[in-house]
Amino acid sequence: MFQNRAEAFALVLPAAIFAGAIFLVPVVILLSEGFRSGDSWTIQAYIDFFARPLNQAVFLRTLKLAAMVTAASAVIGYAAAFAIVNLPPKGKGRITGLVVLPLMISPVARTYAWIVILGRTGIVNEALVAVGLSDEPIRFLFTETAVFIGLLQLFLPLMIISLISALENMPRDAVPAARVLGANWLQVFTKVILPLTKEGLVIGGTLVFTGSMTAYITPAILGGSKVLMLETLLYQRVTMANDFVSASVIALILIVMAFAANLLLKRLATARNKR
Amino acid sequence: MSDSRFLSLEKLTLSYGKNVAVPEMDLDIAKGELVALLGPSGCGKTTTMRAIAGLMEPASGAIVLDGANITRVPANKRPVGLVFQSYALFPHLNVYENVAFGLKLMGVKGKDLETRVNDGLKTVGLSQYATRKPAELSGGQQQRVSLARSMVMEPKVLLLDEPLSNLDARLRLEMRTELQRVQKESGVTMIFVTHDQVEALAMADRIIVMLDGHIEQIGTPEDIYNNPASDFVADFVGFENVFERVGDTIKTANGDVAISGNIDDATKGLAWRPSMVTLGEGPYEGTVRGTSFAGGTREYLLDTPLGQIKAECDAALPAHDFGAVLKFDLPVAKAAQLARTGSL
Amino acid sequence: MSNKLYAPIILLLVLAFLIGPFIIIIAASLSAGETLSFPPQGLSLRWVIKVFEVESFRASFGISMFLAIGGTIAALILGIPASYALSRYKVPGAETIRTIVSSPIIVPGIIVGLALLRYFVVPFNFGILFALFLAHTALILPYAVRVVSASLTNLRSDIEEAAVLLGCSRVGAFFRVVMPNIRGGILAAFILGFVTSFNQVPVSLFLSGPGVRTLPIDMLSYMEITYDPSVAALSALLAFMSLGIVFLAERFLGFSRYV
Repeated sequence: MFQNRAEAFALVLPAAIFAGAIFLVPVVILLSEGFRSGDSWTIQAYIDFFARPLNQAVFLRTLKLAAMVTAASAVIGYAAAFAIVNLPPKGKGRITGLVVLPLMISPVARTYAWIVILGRTGIVNEALVAVGLSDEPIRFLFTETAVFIGLLQLFLPLMIISLISALENMPRDAVPAARVLGANWLQVFTKVILPLTKEGLVIGGTLVFTGSMTAYITPAILGGSKVLMLETLLYQRVTMANDFVSASVIALILIVMAFAANLLLKRLATARNKR
Repeated sequence: MSDSRFLSLEKLTLSYGKNVAVPEMDLDIAKGELVALLGPSGCGKTTTMRAIAGLMEPASGAIVLDGANITRVPANKRPVGLVFQSYALFPHLNVYENVAFGLKLMGVKGKDLETRVNDGLKTVGLSQYATRKPAELSGGQQQRVSLARSMVMEPKVLLLDEPLSNLDARLRLEMRTELQRVQKESGVTMIFVTHDQVEALAMADRIIVMLDGHIEQIGTPEDIYNNPASDFVADFVGFENVFERVGDTIKTANGDVAISGNIDDATKGLAWRPSMVTLGEGPYEGTVRGTSFAGGTREYLLDTPLGQIKAECDAALPAHDFGAVLKFDLPVAKAAQLARTGSL
Repeated sequence: MSNKLYAPIILLLVLAFLIGPFIIIIAASLSAGETLSFPPQGLSLRWVIKVFEVESFRASFGISMFLAIGGTIAALILGIPASYALSRYKVPGAETIRTIVSSPIIVPGIIVGLALLRYFVVPFNFGILFALFLAHTALILPYAVRVVSASLTNLRSDIEEAAVLLGCSRVGAFFRVVMPNIRGGILAAFILGFVTSFNQVPVSLFLSGPGVRTLPIDMLSYMEITYDPSVAALSALLAFMSLGIVFLAERFLGFSRYV
């Protein structure tokens, strides 16, 4: 009954054509703008882009922060995920729900909270001054640290969820077996848990890395124009200088980075396999 | 059109893409018959059944039902019913609504609908389950609902896909009798597909044995059981000692062995059931390599110059040990003479 | 486990980190004072009330709602047939099609918004709202397809064949027998799509104009002007709305099964 290909295509094409036309086509055209100068194809735009120190700094900063957030979320994520999977079923469900909860709230709201916490009159500063660790409020906002914290808070749940899933698929007896054979916790982690859950790590890592690379709201609110990341730079170039060529260059970088991250993490995962 | 050709498949060819599953099948089924399509998985029996139902379009050939060519008639317009192996009950409807489904589509309403549905439920003994949902029923009960749902449509042909394979032994016996009863009382032409020869032999008026898309043999259960036409059919119905025959010898794993007796010229093979092997005396000798107790009988696996031989005798007789050397015979008088070999 | 305190401490810290800020926002929004601070200086609902009085918030709320509801409906209209085809038929190039349909998740939203503005809105003079609608629909599409596909995979296809053999047309069988059984999945897709669209920022960044703005974008620009607690109040209200929807979905639907 499901043999008719014409039927299948008729059902599937509207969605595919729609997605292609609305997403792919305009994006491809935008990307092509980065390779054109007048009527010819050239990569001059890229050379010019990377020649400017500001752009280099922004690019490196984005990479750096994305990597740091991914690393931090992996470490904290494993700790939290491990704690969660060992909970009794009821508690596990509730706590997992609490971890997922933030994902349903607008990133604007989630990031905004940090203004309250990290601002000059915010909690942290009030506490520091009150305790006497500092004479006057420290500027936390509009620093890389602030963006780091904001991004971490935004993406940590994704990593935790991926790792919970991976840990649950690990054979139940693997850890006790290793312990009985004499492994300490560090060895258990590196020799048993890590290899068996690396797929979850890859998935979570890709989500966190690409999310951080392509973040707009958090860098915009917590970094402003002092801590530019690739997307806030893109916005600035377009709105202030009508610079679509830069926008195209940045766009390609973002897309390439997203794919590269995915490939790299996959490679790392399989490389561990061979040892 | 005679009653013996109530349903006819004429040179029916069924294929999946380039893969021909059933090449040019010819088959006639009589009105009111209970027929089994028997064969191993992949033999084309399910494909043939689905083609009759209209769920699969033939590559070529024709299907004629009660005088009408239904080859191009879409499945929802064919007077054919199908009880799926998984029962395929609609999970969101209760038993009554499941059974009423097809009738409602036909436009049957009100008192008429109620009567027909309730009668259907009564026939399968599920009247008090009318408001239950499928998930609340056991496997056997679900199957009855599925049966009732198709039967109330008064189909000209009712197809059943492996009706007994999902049931436990006890239920199987019950359902077998149930199906036969329903078929005889209603007179509907019933075709069921199975890989279980016991099922086929027990229920069917006629059995169609299939292999690789071909019909190997058609016959009554007695025919199939006692006079298999080919080595495949023989093996399928329990003749565990099957040999190709050439002249006065049978071909064995260790070469040709002479055999004497009344063998028809056209016979291509000889087959013996374990119970047909004479143990204790005979021209051949073998070593016992395995024994198993099967209640009323004891089975022996013998290593012999003719290859492996399976023999059986009354459990009351003294058992032979592992490693014992026994004489045995394959009496030609008892053998089934096969018209064809090479299918195994 | 050697240390019994390890787990509770880690979890407490992580949850505090993830949820604490949200609690702080709620508290800050109830402040009676003029500026954003925590702990709040006195308690008052004035900022919460102010949110409803700001006209641009009301307008952009309406626009976000329209996009979220309309976009999700459109995404389902496109996505349900596509999921059905992908899960029931052997579609040549199925993987490619899946990738194309999922591309909105892979391509950063800001790029799409910009591209649409430049090659769609400006040259053809399409309204911004229309472009936003298209963008949001495309954005929700991958979620719709994924969730509905999951439901369809769990539903055996032989009940459709059974329905056809009992006299239904193919289309009839879909509506009578498939839809009722994937209702939960569709609803889950709707909720997921709604929340995703409503909270979406990057795609809508460039696609805003006079009188046409999504609520998050409106909040962002408001934040550039003032730091008063009304943004906190609005954030808190929106958060409650999202959470409320998801909570109800979980309660009455077992939402988490589908996602």
